[in-house]
Order: sequence, then structure tokens, then C-alpha cells
Amino acid sequence: MVESFFDKKTECLTILVKGRFDYSCHKMFKETFTAVSKVKSYEINLAEVSYLDSSALGMLLLLRDHAGAEKAQIRLVHVNSAVIDILKIANFHRLFDITE
Amino acid sequence: MEQVLTILIADDNPSDRILLKAILSQFGHNVISAVDGQDAIDKFDPHTIQLVCLDIKMPHKDGWEAALEIQRIAGDVFVPIVFLSGVTDPIALSNCLRIGGIDFISKPYSPALITAKLNAIVRLLVMQKTLEEQRDAMSLYNEQLLNEQDVAKVVYENITNSNCLKDPALSTIHYGTHTFNGDVILAAYKPNGGMHILLGDFTGHGLSAAIGALPLADIFFDWTKKGFLMRQIIPEINARLKGILPSNMFCSAAFIDIKVNNKSIEVWNGGLPDLLFLPQNAGKPVRFTSKNLPLGVLSADAFECQIEPMSFAPGDRLMAFSDGVYEALDLSGQMFCRSILNPLYLGEIDAEHSVNWLVQQLEQEGVLENPHDDISCLSVRLDTNIGIDSSEHEESRGHDEAPADFSFEYVLNADSLRNTDPLPYVLQILTTVPGLSSFSSQVFMILSELYSNALEHGVLKLSSDKKSSSDGFSLYYEERERRLANLRDGYVKISVKVTSDNNNRSLMLYVEDSGSGFDFQRVNYDISNTELLYNRGLALLDQLCSKLEFTKGGSAVTAHYHWQVGLAS
Repeated sequence: MVESFFDKKTECLTILVKGRFDYSCHKMFKETFTAVSKVKSYEINLAEVSYLDSSALGMLLLLRDHAGAEKAQIRLVHVNSAVIDILKIANFHRLFDITE
Repeated sequence: MEQVLTILIADDNPSDRILLKAILSQFGHNVISAVDGQDAIDKFDPHTIQLVCLDIKMPHKDGWEAALEIQRIAGDVFVPIVFLSGVTDPIALSNCLRIGGIDFISKPYSPALITAKLNAIVRLLVMQKTLEEQRDAMSLYNEQLLNEQDVAKVVYENITNSNCLKDPALSTIHYGTHTFNGDVILAAYKPNGGMHILLGDFTGHGLSAAIGALPLADIFFDWTKKGFLMRQIIPEINARLKGILPSNMFCSAAFIDIKVNNKSIEVWNGGLPDLLFLPQNAGKPVRFTSKNLPLGVLSADAFECQIEPMSFAPGDRLMAFSDGVYEALDLSGQMFCRSILNPLYLGEIDAEHSVNWLVQQLEQEGVLENPHDDISCLSVRLDTNIGIDSSEHEESRGHDEAPADFSFEYVLNADSLRNTDPLPYVLQILTTVPGLSSFSSQVFMILSELYSNALEHGVLKLSSDKKSSSDGFSLYYEERERRLANLRDGYVKISVKVTSDNNNRSLMLYVEDSGSGFDFQRVNYDISNTELLYNRGLALLDQLCSKLEFTKGGSAVTAHYHWQVGLAS
């Protein structure tokens, strides 16, 4: 399940993922960020993600590319410990701003 | 939805039969008549008849019996059956539907009702036909796809398996969820002894995951064979994968370099669960945590290569596995990394049997029957004989006899010492010498020993005393990296001279450095003395070369290497 909300004032796109974050979310996840233009920053809320696999990591990279790679402003927020574990193994804290 | 059907009708009552035939023919349908149940069965052909109408009460098999038999003959072909009935008993009518009839038409016949029901049946038939066509197209497509995958699989396996996975030091397990496995295990002997091993896990599963393995394997084998070092191969693989894979695909991997000369390993981990170094006499394993991003994520200029060294004693083991193992669910639904793997992390599992133990756990917890991810694991028994005699066996000798006579000098100053590894290039030139390619592993060993002595002890002035303990060992390599990065002055000169005299060929390797030399008189060439690592290297060279000479106070060394051509192989 993927939901999104765009704040026009701050130009921040919030994406909320629920349940398993895997290939089944691919289409919806991609649509949420390609549908909106003029986004300055992204906030990915992972509070309700129970599991995340390597294709989810791939989707995050896809978003990062879309948002300008090194210049991208993407924050992963409310990340639970199981998911942090997976992100850490992949060393994704070097690419994204991750907070619990 | 006008469609002409061929309809089989069976009724023992001639007037009813003729009336129905007349009504159906009026709409343009072809009608075949049967006089009882058995006659209907005899006249039924699933390939020409699209609809069957059966009276319920008939002699020689009634409508129900005939219906069952007709359905059996039809097999996979869908032929709707409509019952004709003068009875109004709900149980008899519901029986008709229960045994597979799709509808019934009550007598006396009403042309309007028959028309309406026929139209409904035609719609059903059209829908059924579309479904069947789609089903057939799908199964044909699927069959083609599987065929193509089988062909591709052969190519894939040839490329990813042209390696030394059968070496007795290695134990591996490899289970894929698809025809193609997104996990790869590659192993190749290095030209100067030892081995390179790579365990990789591509994003996703199946063909799309496997496709990235081809360039990966290509670079891995080619560059290892040419004598490139792990820290040169990894950035090359990363750059190639970054260039060809879509941005949501990457490869989590571990690269292991087994260096037999100084009994050490180097490990690079990018995105795989911790690798475990299991000491032979039990004890808690040392963990190599992922300190790098997976391969194919960062651009070449942002890529960093964090490598960890470790010294080993023969019999120690190194174990690596993909996240298919780490994240597998046990019977209670817990991830392996939080439950089953604990005894392994605590050092309670015997190193020698660690892979068998893991397979047992995967079996017991039902993971292998229904894997959610590709599963692979490798364990290597570390020893000093890995890859030592392996390459010579394959080469043929004594065929190339053309004489060679050349020399060159290659001087690397500070900038180049920092940024390049000259050995693969020098080796590449030397292997063009007829006959010498058969001895390339020995030549490479001599060359790399002389070069690392010149660089580390001569130019960087490192003392090998530090290497004696395992802590000192990593300190030594950290110090080496630090001094190399800050190097401003110094040089290493490599001089090569190849000459031919009839069947006798000789290679002279001269390596000089800018250092202050050392007390070469005190070198102990006794190879059985394994206490001293530095001397051990020189003792090995002394065995390989016909003569080893020090000049310039020890800052220059000449190695003479001889071989003969024209000998029977």
C-alpha cells in the first residue's frame, strides 16, 4: 500500500508505505513521484513497513535518481529497527537521511 | 451475435424432434437428429458439434446417462448440454444442472423462449472460445519462453561456472527460486597463487536478476587471470554495472582475496550480511560487516573501496551468505538472523561443519521447500596451498620455440606508485614471450614479491616485524595505506631483460627502490622457518629463481629465471 501527500507550500512530497515494501508496490510507488512535478524534498514514511526487500531498495534508488541523485533531498522517517537493519547492511545511510 | 451452430438433438418422440429441428433450422443452424440416448452418443463429435439438446426420458440410455458419456467424450472441449423436458418436477430439473447441463427447455416448445435461450448460449460459447484461444496462446508463449530460458541458462551457466568452485577448500550451497538464480558464486585462482571469490546477490529474482551476472563474471575471471588486484577489480565491476543496469538494480556482494604468501585474507563487503571468520579451534567468529554500498549504485568517482585484512592459520574458515539465508523465516515465523543463526554467531558451531549445519537448519525449518528468495552460502577452508599447483596442469609446454630478445625499463615515481599497479602490465608483456606463458604464475609470484618488498620496505619504509601478530597485521596494512596516500617522493624501477641462447631462455628481473636498503647478508633462506614472514617471501623466491642477487646495499635486487624450450611435454 502506497499513499502520498503533496504540500504545495513547502513543496514536500510525503510518501507513506504500509505493510510489505516489495515488488508489489513498484508501480504505485513510481506513480506517486512521477505524477507530481516541482517537488523540492521528499519524505518517505516507513512507520508501517513490516518488511523491505532488495527491490524496495531499488525503488528508493529510482526515486533518488529522479530527484537529482546527489542533489536529492530525501528523508526516510519513522524507520523501525528491522528495516534500519536492512538499510544499514546496504549502507543506504550514505545515500539517504534516515531517522527512527 | 449471429453465429451458425451445429446442434445435436436427441428425442425419442418423433413429433417433438421434428418440431425442434424445424425451429432451430429456421434460425439457420445445422441440426443433427438422434432417436435415443445411445444414438446421440454415437453421433456426437466434439469437433463439429457445438451444442447438444437431450430429452430426459429416452430408451437405450436416458438423457442423464447420455449427458455424462458425451461430457466424457468431449474431454477438454466445452460443449454445452441443454435438457428438453416435459416434466416440471424441480428435483428432476435440478438433477439436469447438477450433472453438468447448462439449462433446460420445457415442453411444449415456445419459439420465443428457445430463441432467447439460444442467444444466451451463443454468448457463452463465444466467451468460452475466446478464453480457450487466450489459454492456448498463453501456454504456447510460456512454452517458448521456457525453451528460450533453457538455452539462455546453458550460456549463463557456462559463463558463471567457468571457475574453480570444485576446489576442495570450498563448500557452497545454491538454491534458486526461478530457472535463473539472482545469486552468483564465482571463484578463480590468481596467477601468483591464492584465490579470488565473489558472492553476489542481484536485486530481484529470475532472468532480470541474472542478466547482470554476465558482465560481472566476465570482469571477475578476466581481470583475476591477468593478475589485477581485488581493489582494482571491484571498482571496475562497479563502474560497469552502474553503466549498464537500470538505476533500481544493483548487486550486493562480498569479495574475498585469499593471499597464500602471507597467510592472510582481504574482505570487501558491500550490502551482504556479515561474513564470518570462524577460527579452527572454536571461539567467537570475527564478523566482516558491510561497509560499502552494493555494486552498481555509485558512480565511478563517488565509489570507495573499504577493504578489511585479516591473517589466518590453516584450518580457519570464512563463511558468507546472501540475505536469502539471513532473512529466511523459521517455522515460528522469525527471521533466521534473529533466531536460528544465533549459535553460529556465538561460535557454538564447529567451523568445519558450518555449511552442513546451515543446510540442516534450512531443511528443518522448511525453507528449502518453499524459498522466498535465492539462497546461497559459501565457506572456504583457508590454507596456504590454495591455488598453488592448479594453473600449471592446464598449460601445455614445449611448443613455442621462437627466440625472444628484448629489454625494457619501467620507472614509477611517487604519483604513479600511489595510483597504479604496474604488475599486470609487466606480466602481460612477459606472457607474450614464447614458452614463458607456461610459467606465468611463477614469474608473477617473483615479480609481485620483489615489487611489494621494494614498495613496502624500500619506499614506504615499513617494518615487517609488525606483521607478526594478527592485530599488527591489520595495523601494518592501515599504515601502508596511510603512507602510500601521503607519498611525495620515491621511486621503484623495474628492469626486464629476456634473452635466448639456443634452447636456453633467461629472464632477468631487476627491481630497485629509492629506500636505504637492508642487511641482506642476514637473510635466512631456510623455507622451513615459518616464523618470519618477510624472510619467508625471499626464501620462496630463492627456490623459484636460479639466482637472487642484492646490490646497492640491498635497495636493488636481481632475480634470474631460466627455462628451456623444445623439451618433450
